[in-house]
Amino acid sequence: MDDFEKYITENKHLFDEHKADRSKIWNEIESNLDTSKTIRLWRSPLIKIAASILILIGAFSMVNLVTSGFNNNTQNNIVHQELRDIDTYYKDLVSFQVQLVKNNSKLQPEDKKKFLSFMDELDEEYNALKTEMAKNLNNEYILEAIVNNYKKRIELIENLLKQINDSKKSNENEGYIL
Amino acid sequence: METNILYTHKDLVEKSKSGDRNSQYRLYELYVDAMYNVSMRMLSIKEDAEDVVQDSFVEAFKNLKSFRYESTFGSWLKRIVINKSLNHLKLKKIPVTPLDQHEYHISEEIIDPVKPKDINKIKKGIKILPDGYRQILSLYLIEGYDHIEIAEILGITISTSKSQYHRAKKKLIEIVNTL
Repeated sequence: MDDFEKYITENKHLFDEHKADRSKIWNEIESNLDTSKTIRLWRSPLIKIAASILILIGAFSMVNLVTSGFNNNTQNNIVHQELRDIDTYYKDLVSFQVQLVKNNSKLQPEDKKKFLSFMDELDEEYNALKTEMAKNLNNEYILEAIVNNYKKRIELIENLLKQINDSKKSNENEGYIL
Repeated sequence: METNILYTHKDLVEKSKSGDRNSQYRLYELYVDAMYNVSMRMLSIKEDAEDVVQDSFVEAFKNLKSFRYESTFGSWLKRIVINKSLNHLKLKKIPVTPLDQHEYHISEEIIDPVKPKDINKIKKGIKILPDGYRQILSLYLIEGYDHIEIAEILGITISTSKSQYHRAKKKLIEIVNTL
C-alpha cells in the first residue's frame, strides 16, 4: 500500500457521510418482517395443497348449493303450480255442488242450513290450512289436510245428493205402491 | 481476542434470532448508517440505497439462524448489502465489472508522484469515478476486502480485480489532481 492508499484507509470513517432515514427504513423492514411469516406459510407445498383442496371443496359446494337452490326453486314452482291446479279443481267442484244443493227445491231448508254450516266449518279449516301453508309450503301434512278438506266436502255433498235421490226414489216407490 | 470480536453483540444477535423485535431494532440502529453508506458508495442513488438496506435487513433477520459467528455480524450483514447492491445494479443493467477497454489509453508508466492528501477532494473524486472503478476502489480501500474476496464478490478473477483496482486508483489520482 502506498501513502495515498494508506491515507484513504486511515480516513475511511470519513466516507460514511450519509445518514440513513432510520424510521422510514425501519417501518419498511418491520412491515416486511410481519408479513414474512404468512408468506412463508404459503410457500410450504403442503399448505398449498391443503389450500387448493379447500378451495376446490369450497367451489364445489358453492356450485352445488347454487344449483340445488335453483332446483329447489323450480321444484317449489312446480309444487306451487300443481297445488294451485288441484285447489281450483276442487274449488270449482265444490262450488258447483253447493250451487246444486242450494238450487235443489226438494231439500228441506233445515237440511240445507245444516249442510251449509258444515261447509262453513270446512271453509274455516281450509283458510287456516292455507295460512299455515304460506308459512311452510313443503309441509306434506298440510297439503294432505287441504286435499282431505276438499274430499270431505265432496263426500258431504255426495251424501246429501244421495239422500235426496234416495228419498226421491222412496217417494216414487211409495207412490208406485200406492 | 479474535473470538471476542466475532461475538460482538452476541446477546442482541441471539435474541434477534428468536424474533425479538427490540433486539432486532437495536442491531438495526447500530448498523443502519454504516450499511446505508456502503450501499450509497455502490449505487450513488439515495432511494436505491434505502431499498437495498431495507431488503438486506429483512433478509438478515429472516436468515439470522444461518449466521454462526464465522465472521462478525457487521461483516456478515455488509456482505448481504454488497451482494444486494450488485444485484440491484444488474437489474438496472448497469455493468458491474469495470470495462477493460474503458481506459486502455492510460499509460502504464509510473504516474504523477503527487499523492494528493485532501480527503474532501478524494471523496469528490471517488464520486466522479465511473461506476465500475468506484465500486472496486470502494471495496478495496473503504470496505476493506482483499482481492480474493473482491474477485469472489464481483465474479471476476483475482488478477482482473488487481488490474482494475490499479486502473481505478490511477484514474482517481488523475481526477483529484485536476480538482
